Amino acid sequence: MALGVAFAIPWLLLVLVPYISLAKLEPVAYAEDELPDGGMTQYPDKNLLRHGASDYGRDIYASEGCAYCHTQMVRPTYAGPDMWRPGWGGREDDGFARETRPQDYVTEKYAPLGYQRIGPDLANVGNRITDRALMHEHLYNPKGIDRNSGMPAYKHLYKDSPFGKGYEPTEKAEALVDYLLSLKKDQPLPAVVATGG
Amino acid sequence: MTVPKPTVEEMQERAAIDRSARYPVLFFFTSAAAWLFVATILGFFSSLKLCVPSLFDSCPFLGYGRLFPMHMIALVYGWAMQAGIGVMLWLMARLTKNELRYGTTMIVMGHLWNFIISLAVLSVWAGYGRSIPLLDFPVWVWPMMALTYALIVVWLIPMFRSRRNSYVYVSEMYLVGAAVWFPWIFVAANLLINKGASPVMGAGTDAWYISNLIYFWMGPIALAVAYYIIPKITARPIYSYPLAQAGFWILAVLAGWTGFSRYMGGPLPAWIPAVSGAASIFILLAVVATVANFLPSLKGQTKLWEYSPSLRFTVMGMLMFVVYAVLAALSSTFTFGKDLQFSHFQIGLDTLAFYGFFSMTVFGAIYFIVPRITNAEWPSGSRIRTHFWFSTYGIITMVVCMLVGGIAQGGDMAQWDRDFSTSFVNSSAYMVGRCIAWGLISFSNFAFLYQLGLMFVGKGRKTDGPTLIHSEPGAAADARAAAGLS
Ligand code: HEC
Repeated sequence: MALGVAFAIPWLLLVLVPYISLAKLEPVAYAEDELPDGGMTQYPDKNLLRHGASDYGRDIYASEGCAYCHTQMVRPTYAGPDMWRPGWGGREDDGFARETRPQDYVTEKYAPLGYQRIGPDLANVGNRITDRALMHEHLYNPKGIDRNSGMPAYKHLYKDSPFGKGYEPTEKAEALVDYLLSLKKDQPLPAVVATGG
Repeated sequence: MTVPKPTVEEMQERAAIDRSARYPVLFFFTSAAAWLFVATILGFFSSLKLCVPSLFDSCPFLGYGRLFPMHMIALVYGWAMQAGIGVMLWLMARLTKNELRYGTTMIVMGHLWNFIISLAVLSVWAGYGRSIPLLDFPVWVWPMMALTYALIVVWLIPMFRSRRNSYVYVSEMYLVGAAVWFPWIFVAANLLINKGASPVMGAGTDAWYISNLIYFWMGPIALAVAYYIIPKITARPIYSYPLAQAGFWILAVLAGWTGFSRYMGGPLPAWIPAVSGAASIFILLAVVATVANFLPSLKGQTKLWEYSPSLRFTVMGMLMFVVYAVLAALSSTFTFGKDLQFSHFQIGLDTLAFYGFFSMTVFGAIYFIVPRITNAEWPSGSRIRTHFWFSTYGIITMVVCMLVGGIAQGGDMAQWDRDFSTSFVNSSAYMVGRCIAWGLISFSNFAFLYQLGLMFVGKGRKTDGPTLIHSEPGAAADARAAAGLS
């Protein structure tokens, strides 16, 4: 019936075909002369999960609904000023700042691109906040870092310390922080990828 | 030209159809209204969390990241789906002149649906959400939803097949479309997302799903209602049947292409959002066709607007449909979209679709249908008025705050050399607006739920004059016309 066709064509062309072609993306090896430091040989790197982040941290990120306030996608300059914002596009100083690409998400099952940007983009937060304690502080008491912070505190991921002052992260908080610290979507691109070849 | 008066036999036949639809349809409406009330309360609290982020922050169950998805699930699957199903069943029965069969099965399935949606909401609450907008619930929930939906809606197809009129009403086309498209997009989206083979296309598919839900399900149902209620109450046939058909096919052909523009500039092949953007713009043709069809019917009918709750809600809903389609088209272009993407504008737009155009139109249908199936009149016209004005003001406050706030927030975000915090500090006032808006909407729906509850337990007014928004002694003839009874 025509109703079915009306539905099937866009579904096939717009959703299914790109889905399959993106699912089949193979890692791209760096050319001889462009090998970056750190022993990476291909993009995306085999060891994308730096800091030993686990699926657990990602699940916490999803179940606490962080993605409803935080995006994880850096748009190219023609589509918005994301990359000019200090730290969003990765390590500017090293010339690595760039927009995000499909290969950057290969460690995820579902790319948390996000719903709104009430808070800053987190695609490269692992580069901006490198200190573990600071990341915990951001989750436990964001107002302590920025008085105006619109970020809700996630106190339930922490226990009060038995020694009176301070707090102790639970397993969940540790996993979440592992995940956040691992968020770096700035691996240098091999020339073939960067030019879209 | 006027519509011919129904004969006595026709009236009796209609009454029989209404009786057959009574329990299933009323069940769906009432549980939908209860969900709506829950959804608006969740909407209120989630917005409150944005005004005062530190509120209840040691309680895991009251975070924005959980309340907001719960609010969306309750609003879309609890309220919109059930209300939509109720409308579909009744309208299909009425249009095809078939009695509604399998009423008991439907009620059983309806209970099941409510149970599944409760599970979905509770599992997000308990921390099993997945941050996939509108498909947050754990993986095992969706097959049950798809199955239950299918078992309710399949019965529409035999009804449609055995219709007893020579040509197909526009409303019937929209109903059949909505009935068959939804399972398709729902299953397709869930399968691809849960397969997880392509993470970014997963996210893209979700955006596609949301937009398709709006244009392939909510839109058609709302339009089916409008194409029924507006000619019925104004007693003028629709202006042009070919135009209506053209509108239908434009929507049918284009709707499936929309959605990806939500992630334009994202890590997807750039042509995909571009195509989606173009589709959102061309869909405006369908909107123009619809408006061109309704305007002649509505011309000079201010009196009916004064009296008839159904007409008032439906027309307001259609108005919002137009606004939605225009704004959605604008924000899917790079020119406007790049600053509005991810801002409050987006959520304003989504709410405009879910509450503004879909719900307002469906309220119109409910005000029309329930008195017929219960054989009683709404208890109070002034409560209908409360419902209308508080809902309207609520949704307008919401949408204006979110749109203007979104533009302000987007503008702040575009200034990349300024601190990011300006964007949420400056837009905090609009968050207060969002809170107030949900407060108003909650209140209005309390009035609605209360009325519907009275009708449900058989406490409707048993007189022969219909309940109108304003009652004037001596205006009974007008009143009957306004209710579509003459
Ligand atoms: C209500 C919306 C909201 C939710 C939900 C939310 N955040 Fe935030 N987040 C913000 C805002 C606003 C900021 C910016 C203010 C600040 O830095 O404190 C922020 C900042 C951050 C930062 C610091 C980023 C930087 O560049 O300095 C991190 C890290 C972060 N959030 C992580 C999370 C995680 C993890 C979650 C889920 C557990 C989460 N957020 C949930 C609103 C939110």
